[in-house]
Amino acid sequence: MDESSSYSNLPTSHLLGSVPSVINEEQKASYSGAFFVEKSLEQQPPNNWKGVFSISSYTQYFNVDTDVVINRLISSFYPTGGDFFSKIDANPDLYGHIWITTTLVFMLSSFGNFATYLMQKHTDGTTSWSFDVGYVNVAASGIYGYAIVVPLAFYFLLQYLGSNASLVRFWCMWGYSLSIFIPTAFLLLIPVEFLRWMIILIAGTASACFVYLNLRSYIEGVNDLTIMVVAAFLLQMALAIFIKELCKMSLVRVKSLSKKSLLCVSFGIRCLASFSNIETCNRSEI
Amino acid sequence: MSNSHGDTIPLHPSSQSDIDEIENLINASVQSGPATVLPARPPSPPRASIPVSPSPFIQSKIPPPPPQSASSNQKVPSVAAAPPPPPPSVGNSSSIAASGFGPAPNTLTEPVWDTVKRDLSRIVSNLKLVVFPNPYREDPGKALRDWDLWGPFFFIVFLGLTLSWSASVKKSEVFAVAFALLAAGAVILTLNVLLLGGHIIFFQSLSLLGYCLFPLDIGALICMLKDNVIVKMVVVGVTLAWSSWAAYPFMSSAVNPRRKALALYPVFLMYVSVGFLIIAIN
Repeated sequence: MDESSSYSNLPTSHLLGSVPSVINEEQKASYSGAFFVEKSLEQQPPNNWKGVFSISSYTQYFNVDTDVVINRLISSFYPTGGDFFSKIDANPDLYGHIWITTTLVFMLSSFGNFATYLMQKHTDGTTSWSFDVGYVNVAASGIYGYAIVVPLAFYFLLQYLGSNASLVRFWCMWGYSLSIFIPTAFLLLIPVEFLRWMIILIAGTASACFVYLNLRSYIEGVNDLTIMVVAAFLLQMALAIFIKELCKMSLVRVKSLSKKSLLCVSFGIRCLASFSNIETCNRSEI
Repeated sequence: MSNSHGDTIPLHPSSQSDIDEIENLINASVQSGPATVLPARPPSPPRASIPVSPSPFIQSKIPPPPPQSASSNQKVPSVAAAPPPPPPSVGNSSSIAASGFGPAPNTLTEPVWDTVKRDLSRIVSNLKLVVFPNPYREDPGKALRDWDLWGPFFFIVFLGLTLSWSASVKKSEVFAVAFALLAAGAVILTLNVLLLGGHIIFFQSLSLLGYCLFPLDIGALICMLKDNVIVKMVVVGVTLAWSSWAAYPFMSSAVNPRRKALALYPVFLMYVSVGFLIIAIN
């Protein structure tokens, strides 16, 4: 009790939370080589493991204001022009990625339930409202899995193939690309099947184009990497279809469908990887 | 006074310092007077004194208990007969805890009801500070000086239980989702503010976010008792607005004003998702 009361007696402006005093650590760490001297004390590059568990080594990825986030959000709605990477180059942020995916999970789990109810009522007329809490699990694992694993996979793939990639920028870009699915989740409440397909096709294409154009302009035209970029396009479309089916089918079918599609996707990625491997080998032999 | 002990009773040499200490405590408690809390019931039988340290509780057992186990009160009879009883105290050790002398009183040996009562009163006072309008709202440092995590724990578990009772299927999964959402959500929201460069104390913020759940608790209880969709929507809407209003000043004053919306949006998202869960569970 004593330490807690003294804790809260300190003026709040001097505290950075109960995280162990990071500032002092990094002041001590700044002796290690002239390499770190230039960087500001709060932006310790994550070269040593001490930085992994302290918050201030991650604040550099959240250094955005409200208007910057809104600007990036709006630019992600328009898939034309592959200039997103140049926009975020100086200041990539993970705020958009985390909270857009979280919002999407919430939207999908809630509207998924609601849309399922509406669809069944449309065809059946007698079903009563039942809330299936498993939607939260499926939506969360689907969306978070996609948003974390796919940029990671592309990062490793691109590193392996030699071109330079930055993981944070990939996460940022993929996170903002999911923002178009948020209003789509509202629109998917309409129970008419044809309209739902139209809506999801339009939204999926827009989002996939966003990913495709930006990735292409980032990699800058090495030929065999076009396959990679096309794969990104297709993956985004697959996610769009996942979102649509979540809002319609029963949960069991969604789970089995997503397992099958995961298998297909992993198979496809293996094919792609081996294919581009062969191409690089051919190229180097020549 | 410390010199006169040798005349009457042959004392064990280690008792001397104990007796001195007890005398000091008696004098101090006489001065502190009526700052003690009266228990509402007859004094509990004196507990065995902890032989390691001469705790202040020894001297409070007045009058010395007649058929008491002699082993527990060896030091008492020689001293307790002489001094005047400390004024309104009826010998309950918790009264010492409330008077303000010396080091922090040993709360290990106080009755359980006193501990619970103290924690409950702290929860109530924190609740009044956070959730209801009061003049300290705009200053977060002042408003919750005495934060604790019991209150948030009760509210989160109560909300999970209420949602679980209202659900007709998959009850345990509902509780798990609600509890995980709220607990992880509070931690993530606090981390979010810290990452945005804000200044808050981690556990104080956890405590605040937990207390702001209280209106949603009431809403969930009402929704469990009354199963009409319209009523549920109205109740959840009102309690959601109340929760957000309670959490707003603390969150918004913690960050740079240009990033206020970035810090507030996740709070809003969490409360909306909990509100939706309350409406949707049938």
